[in-house]
Amino acid sequence: MDIKPSDSAILTKSLTKKVKTSEGDLQILNPIDMNIKYGESVAIVGASGSGKSTLLGLLAGLDDASEGEIYLDGQPLHNMNEEQRAQLRGGRVGFIFQTFMLVQSLTALENIMLPAQLAGLSNAAEQAKSLLEKVGLAHRANHYPNQLSGGEQQRVAIARAFISKPKILFADEPTGNLDAKNSINIESLLFELNKKFGATLLLVTHDTDLAEKCDRQLHMHAGSFVETVIPLTNSKHDEEVVHDV
Amino acid sequence: MTSNQQSSSHQSSYHHKNAWFSIAWRLFCHESKRGELTIILLAISLSVASVLALSLFSERLQYALTEKAANYFTADRMLWSANPAPTQWLEKAKQSELTMATQLRSNSMLFAGDAMSLVFVRAIDENFPLKGTIRIAPQPFAEGADTDLTPAQGEIWLESRIFQLLNVQLGSMVELGDIKLKVTQVLAQLPDQGFSLGNSSPHVVINITDIKAAGLIGQHSNAWFSYSFVGSDEAIIQYEDWLLPQLDNEVHGWDTAEDAKDFWLSRTIRKAGQYFLLSSLLAIILASISIAVAAQRYCQRHYDPVAIMKTLGGSNSQIRKIFLLQIGFISIAGIIIGTSIGYVFQYGISTLIANQLNIELSGWYWRPFIIAIFTGCCCAFLFSVYPLMKLFSVPPLRVLRRDIDAKPLKFTFNLLASGIAIFLLMWAYSNDLKISAILFASGVILVLVLLAITLVFITLGRRYAQAEFSPGLAGAWNLAWARIQRRAMGNSIQLISFSLTIMLLLIVIVLRNDMLEQWRSQLPEGTPNYFLANITKQELPELQRHLATFDVFPKEYYPVIRSRLTAINDETIDTTIDKVKKKNEKEEKEIKIEDKGKAKEESTDKEREGFGREVNLTWRDTLPFKNEIVEGTWWEKDVPNSVSVEEKVAGELNIIIGDKITFNIGSQIVTASVTNLRSVNWQTMQPNFYFILNPDAVTDISPTYITAFNLAKDQKSELNKMLKPFPTLSLFDVDYRIQQVKDVIKQVSAAVEFILILILCAGSLVLIAQVQASIEERQQELAILRTLGAKGKLIQQSVVLEFVIVGIISGIIAAFANEIALYMLQTNIFEMEYSFHFEFWLLAPLVGASVVGCLGALTCWRLLRINTLKLIREVM
Ligand SMILES: Nc1ncnc2c1ncn2[C@@H]1O[C@H](COP(=O)(O)OP(=O)(O)OP(=O)(O)O)[C@@H](O)[C@H]1O
Ligand SMILES: [Mg+2]
Repeated sequence: MDIKPSDSAILTKSLTKKVKTSEGDLQILNPIDMNIKYGESVAIVGASGSGKSTLLGLLAGLDDASEGEIYLDGQPLHNMNEEQRAQLRGGRVGFIFQTFMLVQSLTALENIMLPAQLAGLSNAAEQAKSLLEKVGLAHRANHYPNQLSGGEQQRVAIARAFISKPKILFADEPTGNLDAKNSINIESLLFELNKKFGATLLLVTHDTDLAEKCDRQLHMHAGSFVETVIPLTNSKHDEEVVHDV
Repeated sequence: MTSNQQSSSHQSSYHHKNAWFSIAWRLFCHESKRGELTIILLAISLSVASVLALSLFSERLQYALTEKAANYFTADRMLWSANPAPTQWLEKAKQSELTMATQLRSNSMLFAGDAMSLVFVRAIDENFPLKGTIRIAPQPFAEGADTDLTPAQGEIWLESRIFQLLNVQLGSMVELGDIKLKVTQVLAQLPDQGFSLGNSSPHVVINITDIKAAGLIGQHSNAWFSYSFVGSDEAIIQYEDWLLPQLDNEVHGWDTAEDAKDFWLSRTIRKAGQYFLLSSLLAIILASISIAVAAQRYCQRHYDPVAIMKTLGGSNSQIRKIFLLQIGFISIAGIIIGTSIGYVFQYGISTLIANQLNIELSGWYWRPFIIAIFTGCCCAFLFSVYPLMKLFSVPPLRVLRRDIDAKPLKFTFNLLASGIAIFLLMWAYSNDLKISAILFASGVILVLVLLAITLVFITLGRRYAQAEFSPGLAGAWNLAWARIQRRAMGNSIQLISFSLTIMLLLIVIVLRNDMLEQWRSQLPEGTPNYFLANITKQELPELQRHLATFDVFPKEYYPVIRSRLTAINDETIDTTIDKVKKKNEKEEKEIKIEDKGKAKEESTDKEREGFGREVNLTWRDTLPFKNEIVEGTWWEKDVPNSVSVEEKVAGELNIIIGDKITFNIGSQIVTASVTNLRSVNWQTMQPNFYFILNPDAVTDISPTYITAFNLAKDQKSELNKMLKPFPTLSLFDVDYRIQQVKDVIKQVSAAVEFILILILCAGSLVLIAQVQASIEERQQELAILRTLGAKGKLIQQSVVLEFVIVGIISGIIAAFANEIALYMLQTNIFEMEYSFHFEFWLLAPLVGASVVGCLGALTCWRLLRINTLKLIREVM
């Protein structure tokens, strides 16, 4: 059956990734077909080196696919150049990373404002301030990332991810660098905000607790999805997104 | 912070389309607290300041000298004519809004009762001199003072010695031609009165309206008219273009103030100018190196922010703008700071010079400002373009895969970009394609050689390091060497920049020392400030005895005879004597202490320029003071008829060793063969000669003698008494000009010191930038060592040792390269004697080791003070 790209937040068809190495081409993603609906939260889990980050990078348009099609918010990423993809990301896509990825020479507030400014949105500062309040760091607005703890930095990163009211949120191991207590805080913050903004969430994680909070889990192994795990909470979106091999 | 933040929120809501501007501004503000931008800022300021200060200074100095020359010349242009110039020429000058002064010069006899003397008459109008001033004295031989007066009709002003010769006083009547004139002033000096050994008649000044009555013009007169002009540059050039085609070379001549430039001062200034040029170029290069290093570091640290911005939707053009704008901010700040420093400095120095030379330094010179600003922009952008381009190419994927770097650009592109940048700067600054090309090519070769040498050093070091060392420092030593080896290429670039920096510093220091030393030694205490000529052989012993009573002991008395060079080998001359004679008379106005390239000025159509001219001959057994044989040998005793020729004249006349030169001395013909060529130091203020004969060649000739001596200021009043018994001697006072040269040299030396300071700053900046960059590069390594349990002391020791080793090697390489570069510079450009600088072979490695080592220790200490956790966090 044919799925219309405009109905999905993320849709791929036979997405593959090969890289050149000294020993010839290495296929790190086997042809992948996946479909993520708007408003869905999906966790990609799998062993280290299975290709989770690679997939995330492709879906977010950070990297070029070797073959196949990717539709992000209905737009064909595979037909776009880097510049167009950046434009697409701006205002529609939010990111949270394991290593926080804050700009070290900007304050917490300025970091949060950054995507809104790049997208040319007005009143970025007000929005950033209210987001900073929501993540409980209003008093640290003018602190630089290296003055914040890991958990605080990640909260700033979460605030930044939401400032442009993204339709889709990508998170690569958002709790990977945090201790248990901080992880729980971040998790709840993430889902709380996500609920509020109604974004589609695609996250990569090793943390089973985190994965289980998602609507769906996709298991990766050696560049492929190996099985479909039916989420415990909801079985509405259980249809496809199968694997191969 | 809060206000800053509010204003930026303000900005973003109103100018959200220009978000990149506020992002750039905020990044810039935060980053300006870190090292790299400060280094870039300082580097730009330094290069702008040095370029502006020195080119403004040189330009003003050049202008001042031209102005001064015009003062000696009394005008901007001068027309010479054997007969009165056509009235339409003078009319045209008036129409062109040129101011004009008419003058007539002639030799004539002056009578006072029974006494008489040959004098050189200058008949002037009230406009004379158009530039410069006449100096008069209250009584003969007294100190002169400026005056605006000119002799009225019926008056005559006499030079001091005529008062003695004719035994007259102020108020006496004297006869010139057919008229009687009243002596009204003592003429101390005419602005254009130099001296020449041959024609040394004393000067008198009369009013031009008296010439007809005095019978100075007429059939057999040897008088020359001169018409001098001043006016705006355009008017002068227009008039020149109109007039020159109409001149008849047989009867007319045309001179410019440029021709009258003081050779000696010009030479000093030119040398200083070259030094400034070189130094500023070096300052620019050093600044550029530190900009390149700092920009590289800066960009590397921004790989993440760029990847993040791209991920968050930043477009390429936004990112480009954000970072280029930061460089723009820095450049503007640097240019403002640099121009202020530069302007203030040159203003100070120029004002001093202006006071010293009594000239108005006015006018704006846009060229230096434009060049300085251009330099600042070039430095800032061209040397950061490569790291910036790398930065812009950082892919967004870096946010997921930390190991992804910027796309590797071709390194040759970087080299090409910096090469072109440096070349453009050199060209713009020196305004001379050839010199820039030569300098640039030698620079490139130098860098290649340095590269080879450093690679050799590192390979050698690798072998050396495998040997066992004392146990105490062994750990640190091995760690240090291991690091040096591991990053051979990176290290060799670092070595090159250290070596280059130390070398450039050495060059500037050595040249400064040598040049200042040369200037100082040029005019030591006791430099002759008076010349006495026309001393006859009979007078000589008496004069010597007499001078001794005044404590004046001239170093040497040179026999002089006027002769004409009539043949070289079999080639005789057939020049029209008349023309030469007129030319010689005209030359009276020029100062002949030194070579003024006269042979060139006298260019005729003949193959050998200046052939057939009059020359002053001397003869002696020994080589004169500060003369050096460049070819052949000085004569032993009893060698018949030999002549020694000054090398430049020899070149112009195509004279080689063994040629036979024939001189016509009075009625006697002397032929001598050339046994050696000689270089002459024209700056010694001693009588110097183009041709020196072997004493045996001139047995029956009775010469006059010339000598030079120094008279202290308080002794000047005794001149009158000193020379009273010898009324026929010619005295030339050059004290005034020596003083002037000394003053100018003092100011120029101050400028030299200033540039030295700038260069030292620029050099330190490179070292700081480089050390900072290379230590931050190994932050990670240090962090890992630290976490692995290495003691802080060991790490610090090894880092310091590493830099000490690098410093020593750079020092040695620098000392070596310094010798080569100095050899080329001193012999080719600065016309100095090459000197070997042993002390620097010791000093350079020592200074290199201590400075680089200290910088390394400081930076490392700062790094190690940050606790390990923070260090690791900063690295990750
Ligand atoms: N450019 C590349 N060149 C070579 N190999 C690559 C490249 N990119 C990814 N890989 C390889 O592809 C595989 C998948 O990498 P990826 O980063 O997607 O794994 P991951 O599932 O995110 O692992 P982790 O849980 O450790 O983050 C790895 O084995 C990795 O080494
Ligand atoms: Mg991963």
